[in-house]
Amino acid sequence: MADNEALIDELSGLALFADLPRPELAAVAHTLEEEWHADGQRILREGLSGTGFYIVLEGEVAVRIAGEERARLRRGAFFGEGAILLGEPPGADVVATGRVRVVNLAGPAFHEFLMRHPRVMYRMLQEQTRRLRSANRWSR
Amino acid sequence: MAMTTDEKADALGRVALFDGLGSASLLPLGEAATETTFADGDALVIQGQVGTGLFVVVSGVVRIVQHGEDLARLGPGDYLGELAVIDREPRSASAFAVGPTRCLALASWDLFRRVDADSSLSHALLRGLALRIRALTEQHHH
Repeated sequence: MADNEALIDELSGLALFADLPRPELAAVAHTLEEEWHADGQRILREGLSGTGFYIVLEGEVAVRIAGEERARLRRGAFFGEGAILLGEPPGADVVATGRVRVVNLAGPAFHEFLMRHPRVMYRMLQEQTRRLRSANRWSR
Repeated sequence: MAMTTDEKADALGRVALFDGLGSASLLPLGEAATETTFADGDALVIQGQVGTGLFVVVSGVVRIVQHGEDLARLGPGDYLGELAVIDREPRSASAFAVGPTRCLALASWDLFRRVDADSSLSHALLRGLALRIRALTEQHHH
């Protein structure tokens, strides 16, 4: 279980989980799968079904839409939630740039995960708001 | 005639931001919502001012203006001001009534209190914002 303790420590340092007491964090760590991805590997595929929610722990991923890079995500950033929430295929490719370690939650488990951890949902809402603000254009 | 709590809850239930919510979530929101009327040209929100809530259009038309440029027109069932509820940052655009317009106003603190108490509401908001993020990236794309 030493590994699990290390993961709990690691998660506790992420903004997404900043409001969680340790027992709740332990429950979160228990539901997440750790994965490594090699350089160039596509973690999410634009337009293809099969979704998951991912949080970057180590390394960097590139977000690409129609082959064009839109963003780089690093430690603590998350992706894949939009496709699950909307019940649609991912709107972007997410590709490992160098070796990347992520934690993953399968699509179907994501909704229950959110309902169990409302503080995580609130942090996620804040991040979505930041993304919409930074787009700096009014849209609907 | 003033809207009843049930009517307000119904109106909120037709808004994409609150899609899929049951009456257990909608009724407290309906209770918290205030019916507000605006005359032609009245400002609902002013760009740069710190927002105090979310508006849902019940009838009439709202014009969205950013940096002096007309960006959009909203009608019944549309909403505005949701980002300020979460981050309490200044408004990113102004909004004006076009003709007599009726809205439901949800104060930040009321909505925030409901978000805290109601996971389904947070989930609906996450989905609503995800929809907008998706729309934005598609706009860029086309």
